[in-house]
This record gives sequence, C-alpha cells and structure tokens, in this order.
Amino acid sequence: MDNNLALTKTATSTKQKPKGRKSFFKLLVQQRALVLMSIPFVIWVIIFKYLPIWGWAIAFQDYKPAKSFWEQEWVGFEHFKFLFTNERFLLVLRNTIVMSLINLVLGFVTAISLALMLNEVRNMAFKRTVQTISYMPYFLSWVVAAGIIQNILAVDGVVNDLLKFLGLIEEGEEILFLGIGEWFWGIYGASIVWKNVGWNTIVYLAAIAVIDPGLYEAAEIDGAGRFRKMWHITLPGIRNVIIVLLIMNIGYLLESGFEPQYLLGNGMNIDYSENLDIFVLNYGIRLYNYSLSVAASIFKTVVSFILITAANSIAKRIGEVRLY
Amino acid sequence: MTRRRWLISFMCLMVILALVLTACGSKESTETEQTETPSSSPSSGQETEEKKEEETEKPKEKVTFTMFVAVQGKKDMYMNETKIGKILEEQTGVNFKVEYLVGELQTKIGTMIASGDYPDVLVPDDGIEAVVQAGGFIDLSPYIGNEKYPNINKVYGPIKERMVWDDGTIPIFVFSTQVGEFQPDPGPNMTAFWIQRRVLEWAGFPRLKTVDEYFDVIERFVKAHPDEKLIGFTTLTDDWRFFATTNAPNHLAGYPNDGEVMVDLNTYEARIYAGTEWDKRWWKKLNEINAKGLFDRAAFTDNYDQYIAKLTSHKVLGMCDQAWQIGDAQAALSDAARANPEEDGYRYFPLPIVFDETIKDQYLEPVQFVKNRGWGITVKCKDPERVIEFVDHLLKEETQILVKWGIEGETYLRDENGRMYRTQEMIDMMDQKFNEEYGFTMFSWDWPHWGTASTLSDGNAAVPGRQPEIFELSLTEADKKFFQAYGIKTYADLFSPPDERPWYPAWGIPRGPEQQLFEQQKADVQRKYIPKLVLCEPEEFEKVWEEYVAELNKLDIEGYERWFTEEIKKIMETVKK
Repeated sequence: MDNNLALTKTATSTKQKPKGRKSFFKLLVQQRALVLMSIPFVIWVIIFKYLPIWGWAIAFQDYKPAKSFWEQEWVGFEHFKFLFTNERFLLVLRNTIVMSLINLVLGFVTAISLALMLNEVRNMAFKRTVQTISYMPYFLSWVVAAGIIQNILAVDGVVNDLLKFLGLIEEGEEILFLGIGEWFWGIYGASIVWKNVGWNTIVYLAAIAVIDPGLYEAAEIDGAGRFRKMWHITLPGIRNVIIVLLIMNIGYLLESGFEPQYLLGNGMNIDYSENLDIFVLNYGIRLYNYSLSVAASIFKTVVSFILITAANSIAKRIGEVRLY
Repeated sequence: MTRRRWLISFMCLMVILALVLTACGSKESTETEQTETPSSSPSSGQETEEKKEEETEKPKEKVTFTMFVAVQGKKDMYMNETKIGKILEEQTGVNFKVEYLVGELQTKIGTMIASGDYPDVLVPDDGIEAVVQAGGFIDLSPYIGNEKYPNINKVYGPIKERMVWDDGTIPIFVFSTQVGEFQPDPGPNMTAFWIQRRVLEWAGFPRLKTVDEYFDVIERFVKAHPDEKLIGFTTLTDDWRFFATTNAPNHLAGYPNDGEVMVDLNTYEARIYAGTEWDKRWWKKLNEINAKGLFDRAAFTDNYDQYIAKLTSHKVLGMCDQAWQIGDAQAALSDAARANPEEDGYRYFPLPIVFDETIKDQYLEPVQFVKNRGWGITVKCKDPERVIEFVDHLLKEETQILVKWGIEGETYLRDENGRMYRTQEMIDMMDQKFNEEYGFTMFSWDWPHWGTASTLSDGNAAVPGRQPEIFELSLTEADKKFFQAYGIKTYADLFSPPDERPWYPAWGIPRGPEQQLFEQQKADVQRKYIPKLVLCEPEEFEKVWEEYVAELNKLDIEGYERWFTEEIKKIMETVKK
C-alpha cells in the first residue's frame, strides 16, 4: 500500500513539470530501483487480482465442479435474478451497508480521537501502557473475542449483574442482549471499536509524529492552547492520511466483515446480523452453488468500483489529495 | 553508494521472485505424481487368479494410502501408529495416512472437487452428493458380489441393490450394515426427552408419557426448590445443531427421525411437519412454559459450548436432544457421580414423551440404511485393487473382533461359554488416550465395518457397547435403583420397539440441489420465527404463528414432499423385490 502511495506521489510530481516522452524514460532509468522493487507486487496483483476475473464466467453458468469450461451449462443472468428478487438478499444488503457505515464512522472517529489524546499525553510510561492495552484485543481471534462478548452479555453475565446491582432491573428481568435484533448493530459497533481502536491509532500517531515541531512552537508563541494546537496544527497535519484512508475504506463498503456477525448472530437477531458474506456462505458455498457466490462477488466488485471512483473524483473536485 | 543500493534492491527482487515461483512450482510436482491413475475396472477372473499366484509368491510391497475423513474431532495419524493398525499393516502390507476435517466441510470438499485433488480414500460425510455428482468416486459395483472378495460379499452383497445411486454406480461402502442378528442398544444412546434423575426420584419414579405430565413434574420440582434458580427446560439452537430444536414435534407425534418429513406407514406419503398442527402444539406448549418462567430464554442465543456448560451446571432439569449431542455433558456428570454418588441425581434420564396417551412413541431407531454416509475410493486412488483387498481383509470376522474388541487378554476376555466381556480394570484403563493409541478411536466408525447392531457368528455382539455383559458392568448402584423402580433391564425397555421402516432414515436419501435449497430456506424461516413463537406474549402467539406459516408457504413445500414420496416409494419397490 505504502509503496503504491509513494508511486502515485512521484507520478503526480512528474506531471507538474511538463516534459516530453524522452524525459519520462530518463526518469524511469533514474528511478529504476523503485521500478524494479515494485515489479513483484505488480506480478502479485496480476496473478491474484486480475487472473481470477476469468472466473467471473462462472456467474453466468450453472457451474458444476469437475466439468470442463466448455461442458458447463450457460444460464445468462439467472443467478443475478435470484439475488435481486430474493427478499433475504435485499435485507442482507441493508445490514451489510449499515454495519459498514457504523464500522467506517466509528472506526475513524474513535481512532482519531484516541490518537489525538495519546499525542497529548506527556508521561511516556502511561502513554505506552494505554497504547499497548488498547491494541491488545486486536490480536485476539474473533472466536475468542465473540466468546468474551457472549459471556459478558449473557443472562448471568457481568452487564446484567451490574444492572441488577444498580437497581435498574429486577431479578428475573435480565436482558437478553443478543436476543434483541435492533440492538445488534450497537453491540457490533461497540465490539468493533473495542477490538480495533488501538490498532487503528497507529497510523495516525505515525502521521502526527512527522508534523514539524516548529509549528507547535510558533503556535505557542502566538498564545494557542492545547485545543487550538490540536485543531489548527495536528488535525490539518494528518488530513491527507485521513482522506486517503477514507477513500480506500469506502471501497470496502460492502465488506462489513464476516466473523463478528457469524459468531454473534443467532435466530433472534438474524434480521439484523446476517450480512452478504454469511448469505453467500449459506446459499452459495454450503449448497455448492458457486455460481451464486461469484454473482454476489461480481456485484460487490462493481459497487466498490463505483464508490471508490466517486469518492476519488469528489476529493479531486474539492482539491484534496486522492488515490490517483 | 548508489551501486550498492542497486545491488540490494536487485537481490530483494530475486528473492521475492524465487519465492513466488517455488510456491507455484510445488503444486505442479504433486500433480504429476498423481496423474498415473490406474484403470478402475477390475481385471477379469483368469487374470486375477494369475495375479494372485504371483502375489502369493513374493511378499507384497508396502504401500501407504491417504484417507480423508470430513468429520471434525479426531487426531491425524498414520494407521500403523496404532496398535491395531500395526497388526493390520503386518497382515496386509497396507498403511493409511488418515486425516480429519479442520474447519468448514463444504469449503474443504468444494476445493477437492474443483481441483480434482482427492486423497486415495474419502469419507465425505455431508459433502457426498457433491463428490458423487462430480464423479469423484470409482464405481464399487464390480467388487461386490465378486467371489474374489467373500467378506465384502457377506457384508455388502445383501444390500448391493440399495447402494446403487441414480447414476447407476455404487460410489461408497455405506457404514450402516447389518451382519447376523440385530443387537439392540442397551445404553442411553437414543433421542429422547431427558430429565434430571433427581426429579424422577423426588417425584417417586412416575411413568411419564405425555408432554403435559413431563412439564407438570418439572414445574412442581422447580416450585419445590425456589432457591436453586433452576431452569425447567432448555433447547439446543446453535448453527446446524438447530435440528435438535425443530425435530421435537416430530418425535412427540410418534415418528422417528426421518429428517424434515414424517412418512406414513401405509401410504408412504412424506409430509413435512414444520407448520403443521403438531408443530403448533409443541411451540404453543413451550410458549406456555416460557410464560410460567420455566423456559431458558438464553437458549436461542447460546452456542453449543454454552449449552453443554448449562447441562453440567446442575441447573437445567430437561431438554429434548439426541444422546450423542449431550454426550460430553453426560460423560462429565457420570464421572462426577462415580467420584461422589451423591451427585448422581444431576445425570439425565431418557423418557419416551409423546403428545397423547394414544400415540406410540418411536424414539428407538429401526434397522437403518443410510445410503449417503460411507467410505469411497476416489478416482485419484493409486491402486484401487489393493485397497479393495484391504477392505476385504478388514471385513473378516477376526479383523472385526480385532478393531472393535481388541486383543484377547488385553482388552477383552472370554468366559467358559465363549461370551466376551471386559473387567472393570480394562474399562478403567481405556481412557481417551489409550483408545487413540490402541486404534479404537480410529476404527470406531469411519471404515467399512460390521454395523453397530451386528452379531458375531458365536452370538457375541460385534461392538462391545451392545454386549449386555459389558453394559451390566457399567451400571452403578444408583442405576440399578432406577432400573428396579421402572422394572427394566436396559434403557431401551422404556421405549416402544420400532416399527419396520425400510426407508429409515429418510434423511439418508441423497438429495439434489433443489431439496438442499429448500432445507436451507426452511431452516432460515424457522430460525427466525421459532424464538418469536416461544418467547412472545401468549396473546400474540396466534398472530406470530400465522406469519410463520405464511412464510413457510412461500417455499416449495409441495415439490419437496412429492420428491421424497417418490424416493420412498422407489425404495419400497426395491425392498419388495
């Protein structure tokens, strides 16, 4: 990723100097080390991202494994029709988008806030401790994390005990947190934040670290307080990183993750927890209906492509940094 | 300086390229190994006889086959790492590398099919339909009814016709075989309504028959013990184990576990029971139980581990489930009761509960024929003949005694009448680790074998668990008290004997994609509505029920039932012949 960013940066900088084709080759030779270093990644992208596109043909067939490509039966848009006329699919699509947005908004807001706060902490030992503790859950597998969450929210779990202790509910009125569909998105959001916030701060902390300290000193002399400095120096300093990450994440809008929904989902919250990936697992992979899985993934790719192009062109129009 | 950097980056590039290329290359080399697929048809009689002579002259070369079992839980092993397996290897020169499933079955089997990268021998479990459809197995029919393999004939000859699939081939050696007389299972290994033993003892060993009686006892017991925070009834809903919940009304109506359908004994009509009056009656009952505060509300959010934990917590009084699913909990409770007899009351006792007095319970399973569970040789097998020879050896009576009973003097003894038994020390010695190393774990199921209910030629049970002597030895003092109170000798005596159902179990009939899609959709509807039916306010029950039925009716129930009825009628025709 970083490599790509570096490349785009150099590319844009060359554009600014209007020169002919000759100088392009000159530059190419000059930067041969960089070019050579990127070759393996280009090969990787071709093998793992472009070659599989050939497999899209499956979506238009009634694909049976072990038969050769020419023996497959072609069915046109049958699988897409099944998807878009299926009530369940539309419900699942809604869940996917909502959970993705929750993930996106909460992820950005919490990570940036935590990074800003950590940056203000002067006691190094305390800062390191907070940082380590906050990104520890990131290294837990979702299976373990989901187990913890299920236990905390169980009828005899900590949360219900606490509510009882505070006198908010009576004995026997314990709340079945994971059984209330409408609450699932909230639980999902909270779990995601708990698990990822520490990790997500790392990139912002790195961006903050490269801000010229001279700017802070100048602001101090001008009489700026902590919040002023945060608002006028730190935030604008990491704006580019925020925007690039935002554009990339928008591309993943139909990928709301699989594990938390799969592990925390159950019959009672299924209308809110089931997302595209689980739908594909149940109706595609588990029924050996690979064509349907591919149809769904084509849909995802097309939507992502549109979103990322749109986000990028908006960024371009308002004069911000962008991916390309 | 710049030249140096050049060099470094160039070297990095080479290393990465080398890695990528070797990663791609290793795949090729394994494939070339497997391209030499031998012909699957057995050679004609004369040739084989010549071959046989040749073979007997020189000792057979040692060979190792790969075998994959698409079931989770056992440890990957070479067959000859076990004591039994070592003996088999000495006898046949054949060894197996046995691997078990890790992760998701459909993904693993799907990858195998798509790549054509099969092991020599495959036990695909639930993935069978897909493998057969993709032509992954060789046809076994030439080997069954072939004089060369007398032992295979003995076990599979009588059911050969029923093992044929729609495409006219026999892809697998099924596991559900029957040799000799039918040995009923004396242990508590049935599907049943389970109840804590202390509840029965407290109530004076009543003979419970109907659902109302069952819940009445539970209710009285909970009321009599207000301080214990007891849960009257729970149910298992985790992922695919959800069937434990949806099957209950079928059993209560007096039908055995035919999967999604009830099959009429006279007309052979298959009808799904979801959405019927039986279904309604059961959910309404649970709704009442919930209103009384006896139902475990967390049942619909808890996973399997939490369910087992609840059962061992001593708090849950009852549930309806298949014995193997609560096996871990029962084992833990039994161990605790052995250590401290006072805890015996927390174990669970099976009961044949039905809706009405007039209904005959059918919890016990009739003779089974599961067509879609078995052991098949794949098209990638290096030497099918050799594998078949091994199977023939495995199905010999002596070998079956070896793999199920073990070695005389070590893991079983014979009394003066030739009855086989085990001493208490032997049973104590046979813990999980011992069974794994000895080979009992490996051979407990996943191979062609004499079915669990089979009988040896000398009248002993083929499987120790079915030998009455072994069962009696396992009984504790408390067990004996229960048996005396109910006047029974085995748990099976509590239940009605099973009616004859040649198609049983109907879920063992291989299904096509339409049927599988229907089952998935049906399960999705139930997953959503059953919690609502049980947990809603009693006044709302009718409304939720109507929504549920309306959702079910959107599916192709009729087509599914018609398909099953036809399949069952086909089976009845083969059986009558």
